Amino acid sequence: MSLLNQTWTILWKDIRCELRSKQMWAGMGLFALLVLVIFNFAFDLRVDNQAAVAPGALWVAFVFASFLGLGRTIAAEREHGSFDRLLLCPVDRKAIYLAKLLGNVLFIGVVEIVALPVFAMLFNVPFAAAGLIPIVILGTLGIASVGTLFSAMAATTRARELLLPILVFPLIVPIVIASVRATGSLMIVTTNEPPWLGLIAAFDAIFLSLSTVLFEHVIEE
Amino acid sequence: MALANKETSAAGDLEGTRSAPQLTGSRLPLVSLILCALTVVGIALALWMAFFYAPTDAIEGQPQRIFYVHVPMAWLGMLSFVVMALAGILYLRRRDERWDWVARAAAETGTVFITLALITGSLWGRTTWGTWWTWDARLTTTLILWFVYVGYLMLRSYMGRTPASARAGAVMSIICVIDVPIIYESVNWWRTLHPTAEVGTPGALPFSVVLTLLVSLTAFTLLYAVLMIQAYQLQRTQTLAQRLRADLE
Amino acid sequence: MPQGFPYLAAAYIVVWLGLLLYLGFLALRMRAVRTELAAVEELVREQQRGEKD
Repeated sequence: MSLLNQTWTILWKDIRCELRSKQMWAGMGLFALLVLVIFNFAFDLRVDNQAAVAPGALWVAFVFASFLGLGRTIAAEREHGSFDRLLLCPVDRKAIYLAKLLGNVLFIGVVEIVALPVFAMLFNVPFAAAGLIPIVILGTLGIASVGTLFSAMAATTRARELLLPILVFPLIVPIVIASVRATGSLMIVTTNEPPWLGLIAAFDAIFLSLSTVLFEHVIEE
Repeated sequence: MALANKETSAAGDLEGTRSAPQLTGSRLPLVSLILCALTVVGIALALWMAFFYAPTDAIEGQPQRIFYVHVPMAWLGMLSFVVMALAGILYLRRRDERWDWVARAAAETGTVFITLALITGSLWGRTTWGTWWTWDARLTTTLILWFVYVGYLMLRSYMGRTPASARAGAVMSIICVIDVPIIYESVNWWRTLHPTAEVGTPGALPFSVVLTLLVSLTAFTLLYAVLMIQAYQLQRTQTLAQRLRADLE
Repeated sequence: MPQGFPYLAAAYIVVWLGLLLYLGFLALRMRAVRTELAAVEELVREQQRGEKD
């Protein structure tokens, strides 16, 4: 079975599993919306301020919601022993990583799709929707690439929900900076803006390949 | 030199510890003693030079001398991080637990040096800019490095003394060592949009300053080597004790 | 600036105190693990003696 086939098989299995349990989706979605609402109270969002704070609010909501979703498949599977059974199969470890990664991206992506229009409404912010899609996709991919790798590491520890953000937050600083600035430059046109999207793309390329290769070292017994 | 010292003493392993567990000075080979002596001399010299040989800065005055401890702290904190990552790579390739001992020792000593770098950097910033903190690329990256170090120590602590823990640590340090330059650059780009105060000594430095800095750097690097050896020995002894206890059960 | 001196003193004191504390911390843990090792070795010897009989 080719790498792509293996990845797709595992991913499809995970998707079917997720579709059965709807709690995580609802929880993550609500959480993202709540973060946005809290931002409204935390910052004085009069009209001229909104464009400055809105991208930050959006990405904070995305990042926090990501952490809720990142640990879910690997941690749950390790607990139930199904992960060990998966490892017994002669499946390429890279395929497991890619499947988990894509599953996480899809999962977080659904929450983002829900949160975005609500965000546009709450903050009364105009959207150049087409320009936002690559930023959100690449940014989420970056967070998930590192997050999926580390969630496999933290999955065996007691305090994994606490440990995972502690480990991953520092590493995704470039993504956060670049995504917020890129989103912001969609709302306010600025000059001499560094190539933020390029930075996110480079980050993704580097850490996706690195994580794919390193993943097997983390999960082998 | 230091690494060769560690390897030969590790080869003695269990038999060696059995025969001399009581000696608190323990296995202190000649090399280690010479290293300690050199360190003490170096530090004394560096201190004297920092306060009496180096000139007083025209703009900043006396507080500029913090420079002579801050730079070595930051430099060694980053060096230790690279050592940690290299030891991680070597562990993954050779599966020799001694490299993991090096990695853990580097993580501990690195955390100490980075913490001191942050504190001295903050104090220095306070004297030159009046603020305790500034989000310039260097201090910010140092802060993030601190979080990475602490996160690594937490991960290793939670996962215990197992091969899985060693592998996780190695993977983490590899990812982080590649990420840190990217973090630095992205903060730099971000900073050009919000110029902030920068911690550092601008302009060309007079020779006496450079010399004092080099002496200080060398002295602290020697001290780093001493600390690394002690930390490594501790890791080794802890692993052996754990293994012996496990054999018993 | 004369008012900068406390910061200078603080920086050097913090650095040397920090390094000495860490060295002490290492020594403390080393001593603890050595006593533990001695105790475990004693247990191993007793076990071996027991097996010989």
